[in-house]
Amino acid sequence: MSDQRIFTRYRASEIGVDLQNSESKKLKNNVLGRKTALRKIIANLTLGNVNEMSYLLPEILKYWQIEDDYEVKRICHEYIRKLGPSKPKNVQEALPYILNDLKSKNQKLQILSLKTLVVVPSPEFFNEAFEFVSQTLNRLSTVKDELTKEAIYCISVLDEADHDRVLPLIDTLMDIIENESKEPSFIVAALNVVCIISERNTNMSNMTVRVDIAIDILEMLPTLNEWEKAFVMECFTGKVVPQTHMESTNIIQLVIPQLQHGNTSVALNTLRFIFYLLNYVEFTTEELSIKLSSSIIALLNKPPELEFLILRNIILLLLSRENSILNLDVSYFFVEYNDPIYIKDTKLECLYLLANEVTLPLILEELEQYATDIHIQMSRKAIRAIGNLAVKLNKESADKCVECLLDLLEFGVDYVIQETISVFRNILRKYPDRYRNNIDILVNCIDYIQESEAKNAMIWILTNYSDSMHNCLEIFKVFSSNIKDETLEVQFSILNSSIKFLMRYGTKESESICMEVLKCCTEEIDNPDLRSRAYMYWRLLTLLQTKDNHMTNETVLDIIDGDLPVIELNTKLDPLILQELELNIGSIASIYLKPVSQIFRLNRPKLLISSPVLNPDHDSLKIIKSNSTYDEFGNESKNLDNQRMDRRSHEMVSTNSTMNAIMEDYDKPAETINQLKGNMKSSSTRQSRLSRKPSQLLRRLTKKNHSNELIIHFLSGNGCLMFFHI
Amino acid sequence: MSSCLFILDELLEPLISKNTKPVRNLPDIIKSFKESWTPTSPPIITVSNWHYVYVKRDALWFVAAIHYMDEKCMNLMMILFYLDQLYYLLKNYFKKELLTKLLIIDNALLVTELMDESIDFGIIQMTDPSIIRDYIRVKINNSIATGNNSNDDSDDSDTESASSKKNAKSLGSYMPSANNLTNLWKGYSTKDETLNENVNNDNFENNDDETYINSHIARTTTMAVSWRTKGIYYAKNEFFLDVVESVQYLMNFKDKVIRRNLIHGQIKCKSYLSGMPTLRIALNKILQDDKQFLGHAKFHQCVSLNSINIKDLEKDLEGPNDISNKNFVNKKEIEFIPPDGEFVLCQYELRRHVKDPPVINMTSFDIKPNFKKFRVQISLKIETHFKRQNSTSLMTIKIPLLQLFNDYKIDLSKQPRFKSDVGKVLFNISEDFLIWEIDALKGGHGENEKGMVAEFFLFNQEEYDRLQEEAKISMNPPPLRNGPKLEELYEEMHENEDAEDTALKMKTQYVFMQFEIPYSTCSGLKVEYLKIEEDLLKYQSFPWVRYKTLNDDEYAFIV
Repeated sequence: MSDQRIFTRYRASEIGVDLQNSESKKLKNNVLGRKTALRKIIANLTLGNVNEMSYLLPEILKYWQIEDDYEVKRICHEYIRKLGPSKPKNVQEALPYILNDLKSKNQKLQILSLKTLVVVPSPEFFNEAFEFVSQTLNRLSTVKDELTKEAIYCISVLDEADHDRVLPLIDTLMDIIENESKEPSFIVAALNVVCIISERNTNMSNMTVRVDIAIDILEMLPTLNEWEKAFVMECFTGKVVPQTHMESTNIIQLVIPQLQHGNTSVALNTLRFIFYLLNYVEFTTEELSIKLSSSIIALLNKPPELEFLILRNIILLLLSRENSILNLDVSYFFVEYNDPIYIKDTKLECLYLLANEVTLPLILEELEQYATDIHIQMSRKAIRAIGNLAVKLNKESADKCVECLLDLLEFGVDYVIQETISVFRNILRKYPDRYRNNIDILVNCIDYIQESEAKNAMIWILTNYSDSMHNCLEIFKVFSSNIKDETLEVQFSILNSSIKFLMRYGTKESESICMEVLKCCTEEIDNPDLRSRAYMYWRLLTLLQTKDNHMTNETVLDIIDGDLPVIELNTKLDPLILQELELNIGSIASIYLKPVSQIFRLNRPKLLISSPVLNPDHDSLKIIKSNSTYDEFGNESKNLDNQRMDRRSHEMVSTNSTMNAIMEDYDKPAETINQLKGNMKSSSTRQSRLSRKPSQLLRRLTKKNHSNELIIHFLSGNGCLMFFHI
Repeated sequence: MSSCLFILDELLEPLISKNTKPVRNLPDIIKSFKESWTPTSPPIITVSNWHYVYVKRDALWFVAAIHYMDEKCMNLMMILFYLDQLYYLLKNYFKKELLTKLLIIDNALLVTELMDESIDFGIIQMTDPSIIRDYIRVKINNSIATGNNSNDDSDDSDTESASSKKNAKSLGSYMPSANNLTNLWKGYSTKDETLNENVNNDNFENNDDETYINSHIARTTTMAVSWRTKGIYYAKNEFFLDVVESVQYLMNFKDKVIRRNLIHGQIKCKSYLSGMPTLRIALNKILQDDKQFLGHAKFHQCVSLNSINIKDLEKDLEGPNDISNKNFVNKKEIEFIPPDGEFVLCQYELRRHVKDPPVINMTSFDIKPNFKKFRVQISLKIETHFKRQNSTSLMTIKIPLLQLFNDYKIDLSKQPRFKSDVGKVLFNISEDFLIWEIDALKGGHGENEKGMVAEFFLFNQEEYDRLQEEAKISMNPPPLRNGPKLEELYEEMHENEDAEDTALKMKTQYVFMQFEIPYSTCSGLKVEYLKIEEDLLKYQSFPWVRYKTLNDDEYAFIV
């Protein structure tokens, strides 16, 4: 009956006329006319014509009174809901009508009015809603219907408005949870609301659910609706604290079937719950790990948006479980030609993380294919991934990666070559001598280079391997002669390299280049940073020439051409962060791989609650074969004592080793570029490790031409997936 | 959970907006989404304190906006899946293959009501279409009717009334939303009618029963079996079960590398059963304890998942030496109380072994030029690998020609020739491919091989010159040509083509296959038995089981 005419902007007066017209006509027709007019109002509110429509309140109220039709009522309520939040004062007059509906015998109408009451942010509305909810809760023992459930859920919104007033109601809710005689869906509703409230209000004490209650609720799982199941799993994660190994395995057994649920969110929440419980077990079975892995893979077969989220969480799990319980086949992560870009990116990251000595050949083959992909961004990322793998894995694997990169060089497309060269620099940083023979091939590609990053890399390679090349100065001249047209980064590189050449060789040729560059930087280019660095070098050189100082050639050489630390890719996140992220599987934190406190500042970080069986170290979780019998269990547990000892000593070692880690700056936002000073691997960063540590996953180390200066980027191109500012 | 929900059209303009909490200025919120979205954005965007989670379906956008203060770390998966389910809910409710902008606009109120029902105060309640359909019984406003009054002018009061008259008339022709159910509600006990007095204030008498609400439904959502209402009655009790498997297969034909060999299976059910029946289904895969199947299958919410896993539990508790285990083996079945109407009972994904031959295999693909005769031949052979007694009900093969047209200079002024063992070959000139339509192809295990050959003529410069020369000298008019002038058509179709574009397409040359094999499952899945039990009514019921194997979108050979 309606059509698009409804969905255009109207003036209030026009609709007013419509409404009046419909009144004068005969009964049969005016109903429709009126409804059409009312619909126009709603459509206009959706279109953002709020001010205009607010004039129509009196009309609306008129119909509210006289109309019994449910549809008209709905429109009236919808009107208040849309208008209320922005103009709470205006809709005050509607309150009696809403209350009238709330008192009606029709449950549907009652629910409708309750929802409307809650949406308007004014004290009067709040009072009424609160009153109604507490009344409903009071007669809980006698009446159990849909409305009661709504009332329970309603508390979560009321709490947002006035937490202190709602507090007493929470006791009632806790009663519902602990008193099993109630209907399951009420228990879930109450549980859910209590969880939401306790997590929203950081001042409330941490809520926990007793294990026996939890088991009782889990036993009713089959009777719950799919979303209720999902909520149960969500609420229990971090709230149920098993005290013994048996308790946690029991709970795991109870929830395992839910992994096969058709509702993705149930499956994922269950997965998260199980991973949470795995912190409270002494050992786990191989069977469980197979089940977990296969259920994750099965989740991948979903619409792209859901698949994206699953993939992000797989990254998270791969990061957090090093000796992974998960055993995923790499071929599931091969990119398909019709994947959306964000899926391709994420799959690439998964492949990178899954790569080890065994899977490397397979992955390299895939990556090489992507590198010659028609999609330029994709191809660059693939090359970058190959380069990163070479740095991440052992020598033999690096050989394979390099071989693959050299193949790509022959492909002869400029962006492939440029990317390959940029990547090669990192490999050379890791293995300075291993690939010396291949330098010539790289240098031969010099004509293809246009981008500043590739230029940077090329200049660095030229400078560092100048001794194995006879004509490096000639080649370098190509760059230094048009220093003025280069980007700032490249200008820095040229400046640094020219000084290095001068200090190393001291020949006429190098001197003339260096002088030219210095002159250009100080006199012709306006950038203050570049200028002051050029001056710094200049002074250093002058110092060297004055007789009465202690500077020797060697010290200067050491300053500007010192040995660089070997780079290493560290894909590990801080264990505390990982622990928190793992508790947030499926949440927004898993998308950005950042702790919740960074995304939602006011929230308290979720942490594992301690219990006698809490096992803080994922790596030491023992996976036993499924066919072990009871007797073996006994032995197993004996071994476990030793195991635990091992674990403790392992911890000691690991803390030591983190002290010596090469990269300790991974807790700084990537964009505030880290200046890693050679020997200052201080432990000072540890203090803040809880508060801010972004993922340094797939972080790419780029050595900026000058010594001791590392810039950290992310693999994922524009980086939009990996880090985010709020 | 989520503070506001939107449905947007393809230009990212809001069609529906809905707030579950006091949120100001909905239009502005969605405006900032529109500004920050780019084609490469992942399904979650964060802009100035708002997280936008979106799902794109059928040119419509389902967006949930969450304020960062609202929820600590809201469960994205739930929101994403909810949006996804909302789409299915709407689709199912409207009984449409595609949701369109018009349909949403016409039924804006109904859509908001559906949203209202499925999400309370931002907390997701239910998305099961079958139960919501019982709950909300509003007439669907089909856009067919819009033709009636689109030419009316709203300002004029006379035409206004005229249009409403027309509307009233056209109402009669509206499709009732649940045809088959309507009659049943009528027959259902009148006692309950008195209980739900108020909702029934419908204005149109002819649709009275449409909006009638089963009083049990209001309680269903708080009951144990939330997906099925009490008091369903059918005169004939039938249950349909379809096992549909779509095979995904991708092979690089040149180097014989199989890149993908998967089966995506679904067990779809339609239930028209009275009362509260309990169904038991035994699948051979579950009985045989197929690890892969059990690991990769996902079940509908109605399935009591414990029934499938009984044996596993027992084994863990009592150890393998227990004799009672044998009983449990037989007990492994899918037990469930079905929701009413259509639903997907189970979804599974299976990997096939690399050595398993594909259902339809391409054994050879050749392009043979014969420069002496100025011809080029494309030949292709396929063979079948499924049970001999079965045959395909539909079978087409798409053969790409772009490569051929690029590599050789084809002379289309001479008609190309096609020959095939079965079926017929069609030439799509605008998009450069051949279609080989076979329809019915018998099964076999490699011995049933069929082939086709297509022959194109190469451009013969010598002959062309000679003919040109002759035409100049000769007094005769040029010989008459019958049939379509393919070369002209081809020119016409391809004149606007981008050279880069073709280069892109050239990189991926796929031979696509499309087929449908009834009565067989590729994975060998079989329903061993299907029991329907209803303790109270004890009626006779008719279970129907069907199998079908299909191609997935990606069943192709890269050549």
